[in-house]
Amino acid sequence: MSRIPVTILTGFLGSGKTTLLNRILTEQHGLKIAVIENEFGEIGIDHELVINADEELFEMNNGCICCTVRGDLIRILGNLLKRKDKFDHILIETTGLADPGPVVQTFFVDEQLKEKLFVNGVVTLVDAKHILQHIDENGEAEEQIGFADVILLNKCDLASEAELDGLEKRIRDVNALAKIHRTTRAEIEISKVMDVGGFNLDRAMEVNPHFLEDGHHHHHSHISSVGIESDGDCDGKKLNDWINKLIQEQGADIFRMKGVFSVKNQPERVIFQGVHMLIDAASGGPWGDRPRKNSLVFIGRHLDREALNKGFRSCLA
Amino acid sequence: MKNQGTIGAEDHVLHLAWNNEGDRLAITPATGDILITDASAQEQQRLAGHGMGNGASDWFHGELATCGFDGKIRWSSQEWKPSRGMIERVKASPDGAYLAAGQGKSLLIFDKNGPTDFSLPALPDSVADLAWNPANANEIATVGAGGARMWRLGQKEPYARFDWGGASLLVDWSSCGRWLVTADQTPSVHVYDFPRDYPLHIQGFESKVQAMAFSADGKKLATGGSPVVTVWPCTGKKGPEGATPIQIDGHDLDVTAVAFSTVSGQLASGDDSGALLVITFETGQFRRKRARLDAGISALAWHPKRPLLAIGQNNGDVMILSLE
Repeated sequence: MSRIPVTILTGFLGSGKTTLLNRILTEQHGLKIAVIENEFGEIGIDHELVINADEELFEMNNGCICCTVRGDLIRILGNLLKRKDKFDHILIETTGLADPGPVVQTFFVDEQLKEKLFVNGVVTLVDAKHILQHIDENGEAEEQIGFADVILLNKCDLASEAELDGLEKRIRDVNALAKIHRTTRAEIEISKVMDVGGFNLDRAMEVNPHFLEDGHHHHHSHISSVGIESDGDCDGKKLNDWINKLIQEQGADIFRMKGVFSVKNQPERVIFQGVHMLIDAASGGPWGDRPRKNSLVFIGRHLDREALNKGFRSCLA
Repeated sequence: MKNQGTIGAEDHVLHLAWNNEGDRLAITPATGDILITDASAQEQQRLAGHGMGNGASDWFHGELATCGFDGKIRWSSQEWKPSRGMIERVKASPDGAYLAAGQGKSLLIFDKNGPTDFSLPALPDSVADLAWNPANANEIATVGAGGARMWRLGQKEPYARFDWGGASLLVDWSSCGRWLVTADQTPSVHVYDFPRDYPLHIQGFESKVQAMAFSADGKKLATGGSPVVTVWPCTGKKGPEGATPIQIDGHDLDVTAVAFSTVSGQLASGDDSGALLVITFETGQFRRKRARLDAGISALAWHPKRPLLAIGQNNGDVMILSLE
């Protein structure tokens, strides 16, 4: 049985999440989508495909940030999976102030959910008019950008082209990996929201650290992206040890990481992606005509670009 | 084992509940209508479901109370909707006077006129499950993030709490009131011994414990957290602590339901593959009968007065087996 994709929808208060959800629930896209809503009272009351739940954080057993999961989701999704009439897609709307980390981690940590569901991606709505104010006043708004695979820069009708260009640059400083779409009233093709593949290892091969080389980086905040690209082969053991040490020491601050590696004596690409301390790695198939090289990107808080570069280079064979 | 009758619900059977007299069986599927049958699985009544998903039902003042993802509780001719959050189960108090439900961070207590002042609307954590104390109808336990809390009706603070730092998903209370057990998000259970105010953490399950039940006398606790049913002794000064449990194999997949008969003391267990075990305990040993059903077993309920076992399956079928 194929696993059901789950999209996580985040965005600060007033960014347009409800508008997008209403669009998804009413448009003729041929998909049967269940929506789990954590922000009560926003979507049309009693919509037949909407479940309301209180956001409920569970620490698995040791207080580690990476073992904090969403208990309400474990139970709701457990029940939805029992239904005879399965859904094509599940969409989880977080509250405006939520940290998306525990939602994502739920699907990595809970064995039963992991078997039947997968995180398709994190979509973050950004209010073009107010995002700078939100970032300055609340760390959550920036964290939501940091976690995103897709960012809808919404309410574009309320900002000038120059302002939008500036905002995109600012967003890129935080998250170099996300695709950014400019929207007004959250008008966007549904597939751009529902078919993201952000946690799909195959798509991790699309990692492009050059995003980070487009000019100046004026870091206004503690959240940023660091991209590394290097020719040559890695030593598999050294790479493994470095990543393990890195996530042990800095995992709490690393929101997302993705990479493609050329490992010595391995004919195929090695791809990996992770959230905080949870990582997935797999063979990415043959290199084909592409040159063997290493590309990786980290998005997180207090990232030390120099130390990450130095650490990675110590893994080269 | 003799089949007394079968009936099909619209979806995966989530929960089964006999009424006290044993003449009505409530069948709650994951979605769709909730059925009430007699003891030979003949349909007597059909109640509307709760939209995206039903919660576990219970009998209250002779009528079935139902709940679900729509945030509603329906009972008799009444419908209550305290807020929009889903309700996963309703449970009647042992004396039948009250009906409890968890809705987000609220513990809701109803009597037959509706919500009561005993409700606690703003707890620090969500209520994942709840259980009344069978030995004291004034006491109820809730579990969720952090562990378990025990409440007395009319009091705003818990009279006891067992915090272990992790999360508990299910809770049950032994009939004697001595033991409280929680099944956790990690593959473990916690057993609390009230007289000793002593928590015991039992680990080593292969997977999350999805089913647990106390025997009617409170002296045995059955847990299913893998294809093995484990029966823990809850007697003596220390109960399960340091004791060797009985391990019963014969299941092919993870055990999904366990239930003790109040009539015969037998234990029934079912798994995802459709294997059913009926275990009879004798001094120092046990005997088991095994049957194979055509779909996974999702719920079990023994008749309160006769050796009849209702078996719910994940394809919606319910069979009533006689073990006379």
